[in-house]
Amino acid sequence: MAIAGAGAAATTKRSAMSRQSPLTNERTVAILLVVPYMIVFVLFVIYPVVYGLYLGSGARSYRRLFQDPVFFSTLTNTVIFLLFAVNVKLFAALLLSGFFLRPERWIRWLSVLFVVAWAMPSIPTILSFRWMFNPEWGMVNNLIFYWFRVDGPGWLTERHWGLLLASVVHIWKSLPFWTLILLAARMQIPKEYYEAAAVDGARNWQQFLYITWPSMRGIYLTSLLLSTIWSLGDFNSVYLLTGGGPIDLTQVLATLGVRYLRMDQIDVALASVIVALPAILPLVWFMMRRLSAPGEENAR
Amino acid sequence: MTKISRRGLGGTFIRALMSSAAIATVVFGAAAPASAQETLQVWFTKAFYPAEDKALRDVVEKFEKKTGVKVELSLFSPEDVVTKSVSAVEAGTPPDVGFGVTYDFRTTGKWAFEGKLEDVSDIIEPLKDKYLPGPLSTTMLFNSKANKKAYYAAPVQMQLMHINYWIDMLRDAGFKEADIPDTWKDHWDFWCDKVQGALRAKGQRVFGIGHPASVQASDTFYSFHMFMNAYNVQIVDDNGNLTLDKPENRAGLAKAIADYANIVSRGCSPASSVNWGDVDNNLNFANKTTVMTHNATISIVAAQFDAMNKPENTPEQREQARKNYYENIRVRGFPQKPDGGQLPELAAVKTAVVFADAKNKKRGKEFLAFFLEEENLQTYVEGSLGRWVPVRKAAINAPFWTDGKDPHRAAVKKQVERGIVFFPFTKNWKFTVVNAENVWGRATARVAKDGIKPEEAADELIARVKQILAN
Repeated sequence: MAIAGAGAAATTKRSAMSRQSPLTNERTVAILLVVPYMIVFVLFVIYPVVYGLYLGSGARSYRRLFQDPVFFSTLTNTVIFLLFAVNVKLFAALLLSGFFLRPERWIRWLSVLFVVAWAMPSIPTILSFRWMFNPEWGMVNNLIFYWFRVDGPGWLTERHWGLLLASVVHIWKSLPFWTLILLAARMQIPKEYYEAAAVDGARNWQQFLYITWPSMRGIYLTSLLLSTIWSLGDFNSVYLLTGGGPIDLTQVLATLGVRYLRMDQIDVALASVIVALPAILPLVWFMMRRLSAPGEENAR
Repeated sequence: MTKISRRGLGGTFIRALMSSAAIATVVFGAAAPASAQETLQVWFTKAFYPAEDKALRDVVEKFEKKTGVKVELSLFSPEDVVTKSVSAVEAGTPPDVGFGVTYDFRTTGKWAFEGKLEDVSDIIEPLKDKYLPGPLSTTMLFNSKANKKAYYAAPVQMQLMHINYWIDMLRDAGFKEADIPDTWKDHWDFWCDKVQGALRAKGQRVFGIGHPASVQASDTFYSFHMFMNAYNVQIVDDNGNLTLDKPENRAGLAKAIADYANIVSRGCSPASSVNWGDVDNNLNFANKTTVMTHNATISIVAAQFDAMNKPENTPEQREQARKNYYENIRVRGFPQKPDGGQLPELAAVKTAVVFADAKNKKRGKEFLAFFLEEENLQTYVEGSLGRWVPVRKAAINAPFWTDGKDPHRAAVKKQVERGIVFFPFTKNWKFTVVNAENVWGRATARVAKDGIKPEEAADELIARVKQILAN
């Protein structure tokens, strides 16, 4: 009787639902709410990615890419740029996060100024660097000539100076962001740990080594991975500063595609982007794995 | 709230995705706008000067009145018209007619080879006698799909290479125009050692030569081709086959590389010239960082002409521009070849095309033919204030060039009379790729900055050219 009653109730409920207007049907509403996002996603993500993969899928494109001497110097530059810029930036962010944790008011004001570099638009700021470091009339070399009566270095006309400057610009621009991330992580560490350590006579470096670093290690590694992925795609710091020059000597993977586009070799441009995927995808996978792992494993 | 099962969620997602795709298709791919009027899509390079664009709009207006066809004219920057055209051709949706001032350097030959252009021989043949002897040969191109050579583009105008120098700076250095040597080596040494040296001794931080040496600037490969022509280097034969690797050409190439690199390495040109874009030699000349520069087109003086007529400039600025145009800047050709012979002028012919995949090819050809009528084309080219040189006999002999009122146009006409030659890419389209990669600039940089021998740089260059040609 109870089962028959339950069955009847379920049948009644299904009949009631089927008699409902489509607009009030929960599933239909869900679809309608998702559709606008999906349209944009399909048109501006799925379609371009698929079409790009299709354009860059020809073997001939990769043959032309690998035959180009610029490609291998680009790979070298990319590795140097990542190793130097990302590690210096994260290390500096780690140190600065400790500095900005201090309570003094002037440090708080300084932190506001510090963040401005990150907040300002890239194009005018990096172009300002380009003008400042112009070998002939840039402010820097003019000051060098004025003070020392010698011509300054070829900041944008020598490979090593160009790469160094691009790294400096990249660090200058993104350091505030990572400092804030690590600062937020530091602020989660209970003060009592430090007080207890101080009572036990631990010095600053010992407090860092046994309290700060173990607590921050996880977020530091995640930041390192994320920064590496983002820096691999940092177009502005190189393109706006050196244009990949002189003579394509400061090209990195992020800017190389534009070089081929300017040469009307769309397929090779896309091939140069696709070759970066074997480097990016493992990083992304590893990072997602870290983020989705529960609690302690993520902290490590 | 009702729990939705995992299977229900997946089904919802798929329905959402399908609904989105369907709506997107309807919204973006649906019926063309209902229109009874025939239309024609025309993409042109936006001109530097209003007179040029006005001339084009007048042609469009006359064509519309004559045919009743609505012309959808789009004007793009020189770079954009190429990138947009390339994308449109790749996507199979090109305009009906296209004109880009760097089509010849980058795409015309390739498009013709790949069968992306319409044969316009029926337009060109009736006009053959009106053209100067050389320019038409640059648009007789090979179509590998049709396996034939035909006129796949129409010559509109051309550019030459010129030397520009400041007469007042020359005087300031203690020299007269008559002191400028016309022999090859002495000419470059004059600007570098004598003029620059004299001005530097006066405390001026200037350079004798604005010498494009980057891979980005088309000026670099244009100027370097002049240096190669000076040493009689033949890059390809008339059938487009590579001859650069022949011993005499390789030797000439090495000398050209040595000379070109030498100007950079001994500090005669700003160090930043290895990073210059196409406008930078103009800018450095205009702000008197350089005393002399070589530049394709007379855009440098044309900018002064423009400034002297601009109402938004102050009277003082207009007067200074007038003085610069008529008294302070000189335009001339390159010096003699090292062997003492006359160095021919290297011309780049700008081309207009009708695309093979165009929706309205018939009207496209009609428009092109109409644009090429003497009166229309001449007005358009003269609207560029001398920056572009006519490719027609009547136009180059028109008063605009011959009345003697303008010293720079007169100089350009003289250069045309010296005889013109054309780039290797007019015989082998793959040299557009060679030029786009600017193997020439790279070779000179290898000598100037890396210190390798010119012969080694020549061998590297030839090897890379062979790789590109083989692909």
